[in-house]
Formats: sequence, C-alpha cells, structure tokens
Amino acid sequence: MTQFNSFQKLTQLLFVFLFVFSVSLFSQDGDATNGKKLFKANCIACHKLDKKVLGPPLKGITLKRDRKWLHAWIKDNITLQKTDKLAKQVFEEGNKLPMQPFPQLSEKDIEDILAYTDDKPKEKKEVTKKQTTETQTVDPIVAKGKKIFKANCIACHKLNKKVLGPALFGITDKRDRDWLHKWIKDNNALRKSGDALAKQVFEEHNKMPMNAFPQLSEEDIDAMLAYFKVGDVKKTIVGTKSTEEVKEEGSSVWITWLVAIVVIALLVYMLLVSKNGFLKIMAIIALILIITYFLFNWLMSIGIDQNYQPIQPIAFSHKIHAGDNKIDCQYCHSSAKHSKTSGVPTANVCMNCHKSISEVAEDTKVGDLGKKELDQEIQKIYDAVGWDSENFKYIENYEVKAIQWVRVHNLPDFAYYNHSQHVTVAGISCQKCHGPVEEMDEMYQFSPLTMAWCIDCHKDTEVNKDNKFYTKIHEELSKKYNLEKVTIADLGGKECAKCHY
Amino acid sequence: MSNNKKYWTSVEELKGNSIVEKLSKQEFPKEIPTDAFLGDKETLASSSTSRRDFLKYVGFTTAAASLAACEGPVIKTIPYVVKPNDIIPGVADYYATSIADGFDFASVLVKVREGRPIKIGPNLEAKTNNQTNARVQASVLSLYDNNRLKKSSKDYATFDKEVKATFDKIKNSDKKIVFLTGTMASPSTDKLLTEFTTQYPNTEHVIYDAVSETAALDAFQEMYGSRVLPNYNFAKANVIVSIGADFLGDWQGGGFESGYAKNKAPKNGKMSKHIQFESNLTLTGANADQRFALKPSKQIFALINLYNKVTGQSLPSRATSQDKAIKNAATQIKSVGSKAVVVTGIQNKNAQLIVLALNNFLQSEALDVVNTKNVRQGDDTKVAQLIADMKAGKVGAIITHQTNPAYTLNDFTNAVKKVPLNIAFSISSTETTKLAKYVNATPHYLESWGDVNMQKGQYNLIQPTINKLFDTRQFQEALLSWTENTSTYYNYLKNSWTSILNGQSWNNVLHNGTFNINQIEAEEITTVNNIDLNAVAFALARNKSNKLELALYTKVGLGDGQQANNPWLQELPDPITRTSWDNYLLISRVDAEKLELKNWIVDNGAMNGSLVDVSVGGKTLKNVPVYIQPGQAVGSVGLAYGYGRIEGMQEEMQTGVNAYLFVNTTGNVNITKVEGEHKFACVQTHHTMMGRDELVNETSLSDFINKPKKEWNKEPKFSIDHQEVSIDQAALWETFDDSIGTKFNLAIDLATCTACASCVIACHAENNVPVVGKQEIRLSRDMHWLRIDRYYTSDMTNKKGKEEGIFGSGKFFNAQELPQDQPEVSFQPVMCMHCNNAPCESVCPVAATSHGRQGQNQMAYNRCVGTRYCANNCPYRVRRFNWFKYSENSAFNFNMNNDLGRMVLNPDVVVRSRGVMEKCSMCIQMTQETILQAKKEGRPVKTDEFSVACVDACSTGAMTFGDVNNPEDKITKIVKDKRTFKLLEFIGTKPNVVYQLKVRNS
Repeated sequence: MTQFNSFQKLTQLLFVFLFVFSVSLFSQDGDATNGKKLFKANCIACHKLDKKVLGPPLKGITLKRDRKWLHAWIKDNITLQKTDKLAKQVFEEGNKLPMQPFPQLSEKDIEDILAYTDDKPKEKKEVTKKQTTETQTVDPIVAKGKKIFKANCIACHKLNKKVLGPALFGITDKRDRDWLHKWIKDNNALRKSGDALAKQVFEEHNKMPMNAFPQLSEEDIDAMLAYFKVGDVKKTIVGTKSTEEVKEEGSSVWITWLVAIVVIALLVYMLLVSKNGFLKIMAIIALILIITYFLFNWLMSIGIDQNYQPIQPIAFSHKIHAGDNKIDCQYCHSSAKHSKTSGVPTANVCMNCHKSISEVAEDTKVGDLGKKELDQEIQKIYDAVGWDSENFKYIENYEVKAIQWVRVHNLPDFAYYNHSQHVTVAGISCQKCHGPVEEMDEMYQFSPLTMAWCIDCHKDTEVNKDNKFYTKIHEELSKKYNLEKVTIADLGGKECAKCHY
Repeated sequence: MSNNKKYWTSVEELKGNSIVEKLSKQEFPKEIPTDAFLGDKETLASSSTSRRDFLKYVGFTTAAASLAACEGPVIKTIPYVVKPNDIIPGVADYYATSIADGFDFASVLVKVREGRPIKIGPNLEAKTNNQTNARVQASVLSLYDNNRLKKSSKDYATFDKEVKATFDKIKNSDKKIVFLTGTMASPSTDKLLTEFTTQYPNTEHVIYDAVSETAALDAFQEMYGSRVLPNYNFAKANVIVSIGADFLGDWQGGGFESGYAKNKAPKNGKMSKHIQFESNLTLTGANADQRFALKPSKQIFALINLYNKVTGQSLPSRATSQDKAIKNAATQIKSVGSKAVVVTGIQNKNAQLIVLALNNFLQSEALDVVNTKNVRQGDDTKVAQLIADMKAGKVGAIITHQTNPAYTLNDFTNAVKKVPLNIAFSISSTETTKLAKYVNATPHYLESWGDVNMQKGQYNLIQPTINKLFDTRQFQEALLSWTENTSTYYNYLKNSWTSILNGQSWNNVLHNGTFNINQIEAEEITTVNNIDLNAVAFALARNKSNKLELALYTKVGLGDGQQANNPWLQELPDPITRTSWDNYLLISRVDAEKLELKNWIVDNGAMNGSLVDVSVGGKTLKNVPVYIQPGQAVGSVGLAYGYGRIEGMQEEMQTGVNAYLFVNTTGNVNITKVEGEHKFACVQTHHTMMGRDELVNETSLSDFINKPKKEWNKEPKFSIDHQEVSIDQAALWETFDDSIGTKFNLAIDLATCTACASCVIACHAENNVPVVGKQEIRLSRDMHWLRIDRYYTSDMTNKKGKEEGIFGSGKFFNAQELPQDQPEVSFQPVMCMHCNNAPCESVCPVAATSHGRQGQNQMAYNRCVGTRYCANNCPYRVRRFNWFKYSENSAFNFNMNNDLGRMVLNPDVVVRSRGVMEKCSMCIQMTQETILQAKKEGRPVKTDEFSVACVDACSTGAMTFGDVNNPEDKITKIVKDKRTFKLLEFIGTKPNVVYQLKVRNS
C-alpha cells in the first residue's frame, strides 16, 4: 500500500511540477503563437517588434496604449483619426504615413497579435521623434524648374557649389536672361556666333564644352531660372526627445513574474525547508531541467548573429542610396546575378556617382552624423581611390587604399550559397533575406541565416516551370507523384550535399 | 703536462676582479627581485591565497575567457579598389597557355579564380600535345611553392651593368660565352639568342636534357637530315612492338597515350596488339598484351633479331632468352605490314637507327617523319665538349636556364669552378644556383610570356595567368636588357610572331593558346639516307653484357625531378610499385634471393626493406632501399631519376637518392647489402587478387569475340530460398526511383586506362585533398579520394591448387599471395562507388552521409562526428578519415601550412577539419555549377555537358561521366555495353560507378 501511495504521490507531484514548469515557460499561451503568424502575415511589411521601420516598434505596445484604442486603430485607423486626438497625434508622429486598415481581423485575432507583441517588453524606452516641416511654401514654377534641373543639369552643376560646371544659384543676377537662354539651348553655336562672353565662360572653365539642350522650351528654361533665383527651400528640423515610463501594470508580464516567483519559492521550499527527501530529489530534477532548458536555448543561439550590426569604416547609409535615391541593389552589388557572392561594391563603382556628388544635402542625417560628418565620409572614398575633388581628376600615381568593410553576413565555410541561383534563377528580391535594406542606415543581419531558415524556404518555394531547365522535370515529377506544386525540396533541395561540399 | 700555459677568458679575470669571481660562482650577481612581482616574503607568508585558491582563480579566468570567446570574430571583407573588368568575384576565368619546362610540354587551360590559377586542365583547342600528365596537373602547386626564389641576387640594373661589363671583356678575349639551357623550343627565345650572338659573336648555345634522347635525335638526323624526334601515331598501328620504350611514360617527351588508347578497346572485334620487351616493369609494359622481361644489353640483340626476322636479312647478332617471343612478334608484324610499328628506348644511336630502318622497311603508317617533335633537343656530345672546354678554361661565362646541371650532370660542379662568370636563371634555389655568381630568379610559367613550337607546324603561346608573385625576371627579359633592347618581352614576342601568324589575329591565337600551320608542303617530306646497317649492327653486337645491369627510368610522379618540391607529386603513389615519397632499387625476386635482400611487412601493415650500397663504374650510392619488383628482368636493376635533391628543398621533400650519378655510366652493378632497414610508404602491399575474380575483370580477345557474354562477364545471381530473384528483391533496402531528373554515372574503361595517375592529381587539386606525409601513409592514412589499384596475376590458381592437393589450406592462400615472376598487370581506379544501396549510409549514427536524388552518395562534413562506422562498412575502402587537422598545422608542413600554398585551394570546396570523414563527392561542385549555368540560361543541360575533375584530366578517354537519364549522353550507351561490370556487384550495393572490363589481345 505504502508503495502505491508513494507512487501516487510521485505522480501527483510530477503533474504539479510539470504544470508549474510549463506555465512558467509558456505563460504567453497559445495565443501568442497564432499572433506571431498573424503578425507575420499582416504587419511585418511595416512593423518590427523591437525596431522602428516604417511603423513604430510594437513590442509592449499594450503598455503604452489602451487595448480598446489599439483594437479600434488596427481595425480602421483612418476613421479613428477623425474623432480621436491620440490617433491624430500618432499619425503626425509617424510622418503622416497612413497605415492600412485591417477590417478582416477579428477581436480574437487582434488579441492574439497583442499577446505576441507583449512578449518580453522593454522596461524603458527612449523615443526620439523628428518632425520636418516646411517653413516656406513652394511656387509651382520653381518646383518645375527644380525638376528640370535635376533631370538635365545635376550631372555637372550644383546650386551652391562649383563642380564640373559653375554654381548656378543667383546666376540670373550675373547674366542676362536672353544670353542664358541662348547658352543653355546651344552654347556651342553661341560661341561660334562670336559672342565674347560665351568665349570667356568657355575659357574660364578649362574649355570643357557643355551639352546643348535644344529640347528645353522657353518655359522650361524660365522655370529653371526661377529656381536658380529662389534656390532650395530651407527645411528645419524640430527634434523632440521624450522619455516615457513604461507602466509596470502590464498584465501578462505580471503573471509571468508571479509564476516565476511561485516556482522559485516552491523549489526553495522543496529543496531547503522541506524534510521530505523525495521532494528534494524532485526539486533537484526540476532545477536541472530548468537549467538545461535555458542552457540549451543559450547554446543553440551561439553562432546565430541575427541583428548583428557592426560599425563600418564608412558611415554608408543604405537608406539614402537604396531608399531615398532608389538605386537598384544590383547597380552596386553587380556580381549577385552572376556569381556566388553578391560582391561588396568596389570603390570605382562608388565613384561613378560620387565624382559629382561630393557632399550630402543640407539636412541629411544618419544617426548622429550631420552634413559635416557625412561629407567627410564621402571624402573617405576619395582617399581610397585618390580623387582630387577640387580639380575633378584622379591623382596621378596615387597608391590606392583598400576600404576594409566589416562583413555582416557570414556563412560558415562548409555552407555553399550562391547568389546568382537565388537572384537570377529564382528571381527572389534581395529584401526577402536581407530585410528592408532600403530603410537601414547601418546594415544589419535581418535573417537568422540558420539551416532551418534555409530549409523552410526550400520546402515551400515552388520552382519556376517556365524556366526551360525545370520544364521537363516539373512535368514528370508532378505527373508521377501527383504533385500540385513542385518545390525545391522535391528536386533535391533538401539534400545535404546541395549546400555542403 | 706538455703545456703550462694559463688561459683567461677576459682581462678582468686576469686582474682578479671581484665581480668576475662572484660571477664564476653564481650566475646572477644580485638576488633575483622576485618581490617585485610576488610581493615581499612576509605578505607572501601571511597571504590567505593558498595554492588551491590560486588554481581556482586560474580555472575561473580560463573558463571566463573561453566563454567570452563564444562571440564570433569580426571578419573583414575587402573589395578591390578598382575592379579589373574581366574579373567577377566568385566566377572562374579560363586562360589557354602552355607548359614547356624542358621536360613536360603541353597546351593547357588554366582555371583562374579572383586572379589566382587553381587548376590545370587540357586545352582541347589544341589538336595535339594537349595531354596533361600528373606533373602538368600538379604544376599549379609549384607556382605557390614557398621555397621559390623570391628575388635575384642583385637589383637588375646593377646585375645587368656588371654582367654586361664582363661580357664586353670576354668579347675581346679568346674565351666564349655559353648558354646552357634545357629544351625550350621557343622561336622568340631562339631569335633573342641569335641577336645576342650578333652582339657577342663568341657565344654558344648548348641544349642539355637531363633525361636525354640524344640517341634518337642523332639517329633521326643521320637518316632524315634534321635533328628532331619522329612522331608516332599509335592509333594507326595494329601491332606495336616496343623494345625498352616506355612510351606511355616519358619516352621521347611522352604524350602518346591518347593515340595508343584508340585501338586498345575492341571495336568490331578488332583491337591493337602490343608486345613489350623491357627490363623494369614500366607502365607501358604493364599495359601491354604480352610482356617479356629482358635486361638492357639483351634488348639490343632482341632488336637486331627482330629486324632480321622481319626483313629476312642476317645482321650480326646474338641469341637471347626471348628469341621465341621475338620470332612470334616478327610474325605478327609481317601479318599486318604497314599497320605495324616498332619503337625502342635503347639509348644508343645505332639501335635507334635500326628501329627507323625497320619502320621504314615496313612503311609503317604510325611513324610520322613529317610532323616531327621538338620537345627534346639536348645534345650529349656538345655537353661533353662543353665540360671539357670549361675544364680547359675556354669558357668565360656560362649562363644556365631551365636546367640544374650541378644536380644532374656529373663533373659540372668541378668544371664550372674554372668559369669566371657563372649566371644561373632558376625558379628556385638549386645546386646550380648555389655555385653561381649571379642568380636571376625566374617566374613560373603561369606568370610568364612565351612561345613554344612543340611540333612542326604547331605553335603555342604562353601567357601569364597571375601577376608575378615575387621580384622575378624572365630569361628573355634579361636577354633583351643585355642586347640593349628597350622593348618589353611581350612586345618583342608579338612582333616576332608576325611572320608565324601570317596575317592571323594575335588575339585569336592568344585566346586559343595554339596555332597550327596545317599545310606541310610536299617537298618538305624528307628523303631517307642510306645507312650501312651491317656496320651499325656490327657496332651494336660488340656491346658487352654484364651480370647485373642498371636501367634508369623516370616515374610518373617526379619525372626528371624539377618539381621535387611539390608535395602532391611526392605523395602520388607510383602506379606500379604503389609507393610514394621514395625512389628505390628495383630488383627481381631471383636476384634478391641471391643477395639475401628482402621486403617485409611490419606489424602496422607497412612495408620495410633492406638497404644496399650500389656501385657502377666506380661510383657508389650509399644506403639505397631495395624494392623487389615482380616482372623485373633477372640480371637487371632499376632506379628512378628525380630524387635525392637537397638544395632549396623543404626537409620533408628531401627523399630518395640521386640516380643521375649513374648517367652514361656502364659496367657491372655491384650491390652490397648494408645494415639497417628502410621504411617504405607503400599504399598497397597486397599484390594479387587471391582468386577473387570479381574485382578486376578481364578477358582475352578470342573469348570476347567467340564466347557469349556470360562466359567472360558473368552477371551475379541473387537468390532467396534458393529461388533466383532480381537484385531489388534481394536487397535489404527499398528501391529508390531515380528515373526522373539527372542521374549521374561514371564509367571507367579498364582497357584504355593506362594508370597514368593524372586523375589522382586532378582530384587533389579540385577537391582540396590534403597531403599527409610519409609517416601517415605508412599508417595507411593516405587521403587520396581516387586511388589506382594494381594487381598482379599469381601462379597459384584454384585448378593448380587442387592438382597439388593444397587447395583450401593455408599453404594455398600463402601461395596465392605471391605474384608471378612475370605477371600480367591489371589496373583499376577506385573512388567512391556512390552505391544506390550504400552500406555506409545505413550505419552512420548521425545521418552525415546520405543519398542524393542525382545518385551521389553525399558526405556532410559538418554533420560528421567521426565514428568511422561508414569506413568500416564500406566494401570498397574509399572513405578517408581526417586523423589530424592537415591545414595550418606545422606537423603537416605541406602546402596547406603556408599562406602561399593555400592559394591553390579551390574556394568552392571546404577544407575539412580534424575528425571528419571525407571521400569522393563526384565533384558535386562541378555538376552543380553546370546545372546552375543551364538554369541561368534557361535551358536543359546539354548532352555530355556534365563533367568531373578526373574525367577532364583523362588523356585516353578511359573515363566517361554523364547523365544516364539522358539517352543522348555517351554514358547511357556505356552502362549498357556488354563489357560493363560493377565492382563487387554480388553484394548488391548497386554502384553508380561502372567499369568496362579489359580485353587482352594475347
């Protein structure tokens, strides 16, 4: 009987322990898992948990905002803005970027998403907001002029600085309108007609001929001249810094801590106070399990460098290049379509544009760096290749210096990855693995780059049967195995030696 | 005491200075200030930190440091500043160039990654001389040899100024300037030398080949008027009789194997017949249909006897032990007439004359006297004259290039001391550079410009594939500077080619690497001079036989020895002896028993052997190891060139003895056994198949034609409960459907494989296979993914065993292990068989090895934990275990242990670390690349587009690789061929590597 009793006791205890243990580990319950799915399906394009992307970071958003308000906002933030003051403020804060309404999400769905976003909230958060307001309104003619200027002249001219051609701000004060019209339309003809001023200008600028622009109409040129007169509209930056206290009343966090304390208390009791030897053994087993769990998780994270964001030798901003100026990724990373490596752009590629772009715009900011610092960063390219930005030529016999970038994405040697396979053959966008690079000032590793992450994609992704390489095998496989879709894995994309050799 | 002098070590001691006295008693004048870092004695005594605590702290800090080390290192990525236009990082470029190092001549295609040449392959644009042997394949590693000369002895301006001043002095004296070079066959260099001679008329150019073909050159000159080598196209011969010619090796420059192989596999019931008479067992002898052992002096008589039998003349000769075989060979020759060819390797002008006369008599189609070869030009008479001149003080300056006479030429070291100016051009420090006053470091051929005229009408260009690694200067650049020519060698070369190109595009030829002038004008075909063969034979017949004769030879690994510092070649097992890292005295069993010389196997399975002192004609080599070679002619011993070099060699590579000592030395060989034993690094100590006819299948031509397939290529039977079933029913595994998509198979034709071992080196280069060194090879830890097994036949067959009543007993097995004295030889390249039912896969506890849809047995190194179960379960013994870390490990000081040597590594293949298993991957990186290329171009893979490294390197076409699911691929027909069998098929592994059995025309 005693034997049975002790067995019963043991099972009871084991159940109690397992329950407590599981509660402690999964206090965010099943909702969060579903929430993660929904989050990935709906929100990830603009939001991240712990980082501001297009939208604000959502981790612990429930601590900041009322649940009811959040529900209303997610369902239809545009309608909410009409009535709610907070909503309006949020809209303003987010650079007036409207968020898409999600009427299709149920109450439960939104709760799930919130459960997911509540996962490990940060205690304090420093939020820096930037507001940019235009202090002057822009005349449409000037705006038109600016557009034409950007389309035609910017390769050789700048408004405020001599580059290849002279600075054009205030040129209308120096030269007469008619002369400028003639010059712009066909400066060569003007010179040949014997115009002394035209000849002088030509001589002054090292006899560098300027393109003729016969395609520009009188109006176009006038608009441009108007723009040269007014110049760029100044923008002012209003920065506010506020520290928001995170409320401690976060419900799920509170429960987690409570459960954790209870478990610890229980364990301490079992281990130290209780005289029951059996309980002690159980406590030790529980302790070992808990430690093993956390140790295992920690060990598994070794070598995974997700979010690795090293400081680079040049404060290069992908946001400015790929985001603001919409330069195609493969313009700089040109070997991605041919080779296994995407290719860190060589300095001569930088110089294609930076020959004429030696400084950033007035109000550019990358992190803490302003115009002054960023101009120095551009200077680093010139130092590398030996470009004399004063005289617009390469310094002769210059000993070039290599730029030593810090590698962000590092696959181990035993994993073979080929960019061209994914970029050229599969046509995957760079962002799929590298994340919203066009929004990153400093590049970071977006994806975990683990094998599971690779395999997941290989399992789901269908091959493109329009590629003649796949046509035959696609047809045969789908016929033989009655497959609806033929994935990479079906072709052997999960085999070890496809990536490990 | 005869001497009462007192000695002092210093003046202070003499004076009796106190500090000196003190020092003599105590090493340190003051007590060592331990307090400074340990604290004073009191604190030390009262410290609460015990020794145990100290150890705890040490332990903690170590643990903390190692935990902190879990963070990954910061890795830099450094792009070009200005990227060269033709380089895309990660994509290989290919350049056609040529190797012409004086011994090996070939038109090659070089694979270059990010500006580094990493692999050499044959240049298929070239119609001839495009065969890459093991040395050519390995030459890419010699580029990254850490022992290369990194700069010349003086800066070039001073160098040239001083040298020219001396030249000018010599010009006005009665002495001469001599250029001593290896065979260059370079039209532009010849032109440069002529220009130099115009400036300094007392100049002489002497060509010297360390392994000389003077006899053949002189004979051809006498008969046909020009001093070149005739060409032999063995594809046109139905009967080939060779007397001592190792034409599948380096005989007359080599490169005959592809023609030879064309008729070695039966086509429509016909194939060539090859009869070989030789003393050492060479590759050629091993591949022959019939081989007869004959010592060198007897070969001469055999040749005259053959001539007499074929032509019906009666030149003076003597009888030999193989006259019956000679008579038989003569009958064979007569039966085919012009479809026969006779070749000889006897280094005697008269013998070569007889062969030319015999082929001329036969009107042999295989002998080509029009497209003659320029790859050997050395003239021994002139070299001997030069040595005499040097000794007589007639030489004012000697300039050596592409040759190492101090190592290969007796007397040179003494003679050169009499020459006032000695300039050596060399890629590495050698015995010759050590003697030279000026040393000019030359670039490797992969860093050089150049041209070479390998055979009449065929011109090849040499172009650099990498920037010069060191401060080196080409021989031609020096010549330009000495002749006050300011042009670069590139421009000079381009200009001098204007006449050769005759209007053709230079860029086009540079791209192709080769240029052929096809029309050989009719009048150029030479007339045959009349030779008094009677006198020739009379001179030959005077040759004396000796009791024991020496036959020197070259091995496929080291050749003439100029690449001796190349660890790939050192570790390459000789196809015949299966021994690496050594040369040795080959001796027949009969002679060895007489002299009580032995080879024996020690406990760990390695082979040891006796040591002897060898002396010929008054010269002695000490402590030469002895290797008992089945098939060695009784009364002859063999020794390989190329070993025994010390100067400029890494310690690990200083192997063997220098056989050049015995060049041109005749006389009886005296062998004295000495104390001690030699440790061989032999990878195959088991010589025979011991009656297992499932390993290497072969059959005779008559059986192949007349008997049904089941008689000579049995298919294995599988049975369950004594019912015959198919292999799939009998297998333990479920069958895997592989009829869709690509399915790779590799076929090896044993009939045309000559075991040249080029594939072994190609595999080394392509797959970053490490070199492990002699000691590890002795422990059977060689890492070659591809080996070429060699089997000898044994006298003891089952039938004979039964007759003698010992069948089944231990005695029978012992007898089976012994090869015949004159065995037939079979070769079998063995790599991973990529079994469909792979025994290795099912025993791996971590699923590190698994089967791919394309038929490859895949090995994931990063998953392997090193249990070695797979290797134990592999019936083919093809898995290789990384017992150590072979890269960046000073215990394995080979190419992977220095930055330079690592530049040869293929960036697409990982370098394996310690404790993991590796094996042939069927070059999955190459097949994947082919597939990716097709995908990118949006097309199916073309017919026969797939290839692997060993197949690319194979000169004879014995290896074929392809997709068996593509009916157009060559491989699809081969797997269904009636000669096809699979290794150990009866165990049901269903390999994806198939063999085609050898057919012997005996």
